Amino acid sequence: MKDYTKGKRPEMLEPFFPNELLRHLIVSCFLIILEMVAITVFPLPWKIFNKPDHIPWFLLPLYQLRTLIQNEVVFISAVVLSALLFIAWPFLVCDRKYRMSSLRNAEDRNSNHARHGKGRHNLWHQPVLFTIVIFTIIFLITLCFIKT
Amino acid sequence: MTNEIGNQGMVRELIETNITRRLIPRGLSWFGCMGGLSLVAFMIQLGTGIFLMFYFIPSATEAVVSIQKVSHSIPYGWLVHRIHAVGPHVMIGMVLSHMLRILFKGIYRHPRELHWVSGACLLILTFVMYYTGYLLSGGSRSSHSVMPVTFIYALHIAGIPLAMGLFMGMHFFMVRKTGIYEPL
Repeated sequence: MKDYTKGKRPEMLEPFFPNELLRHLIVSCFLIILEMVAITVFPLPWKIFNKPDHIPWFLLPLYQLRTLIQNEVVFISAVVLSALLFIAWPFLVCDRKYRMSSLRNAEDRNSNHARHGKGRHNLWHQPVLFTIVIFTIIFLITLCFIKT
Repeated sequence: MTNEIGNQGMVRELIETNITRRLIPRGLSWFGCMGGLSLVAFMIQLGTGIFLMFYFIPSATEAVVSIQKVSHSIPYGWLVHRIHAVGPHVMIGMVLSHMLRILFKGIYRHPRELHWVSGACLLILTFVMYYTGYLLSGGSRSSHSVMPVTFIYALHIAGIPLAMGLFMGMHFFMVRKTGIYEPL
């Protein structure tokens, strides 16, 4: 198990019990309430998307892509390729500099990077990757609204 | 007697190391609970699914009738069936939020690449699970399915959950090993 106490001052830590457990309990209650609300309102009375009833909202981009790409082989290849790209994303965007610095930090856990490094590798700090992700999300949302 | 005391000591130590004396970084985000919520949603699906297994008949002619029987004749059957039908929407919402957070915060980077891989596989399996569930709940009557109901049923209650269990085990093992979200 990962030891969070290494290289950290006591004021940078908090007890797992009850703090984190309570946090999880509260959000779990929120989830149950959300689910109970969903039970009463699903399926939504208004039709935002132009789709058949048997297609759920999260499979809508796939359904629209299927109607746009008539050739079955091309469609399946596109879906498999997208799934592989999605699964292999961390290896495709592997940053050698970051990898080396994180390996160094593994050796020297008292370094400043270990204390203050979080947040430096957010996606919005990398314009190319950020643009790719945003364009993909916009493309998927646009697919949902296309009338085929 | 000595054995019992020894076991009690071991359990106490296990609880103290993992729960009561465990320290974590201060100020973790509430959004960090999305992964845990996905697990809770999965457990709800598992519980309601086990309940439905006792009444569901995996046959092309009787599947829909058995679901109607659960909804109309079994006490609170309608509620359990409804939770099982709506739950995947909530679960997929939670998994997608969790995934987007990981993606935008760059937490999938070294040494957590395999967390992403196992999580992405879990998301895809959840989609397949939903689709097989949909086919079982009446979709198999229509022209959407060419597979026999028993095959879809076996996939839905055994094949996919087993694969999900394996990926979940891998996911949680690695989260435990590398910790949450800080650079190593």
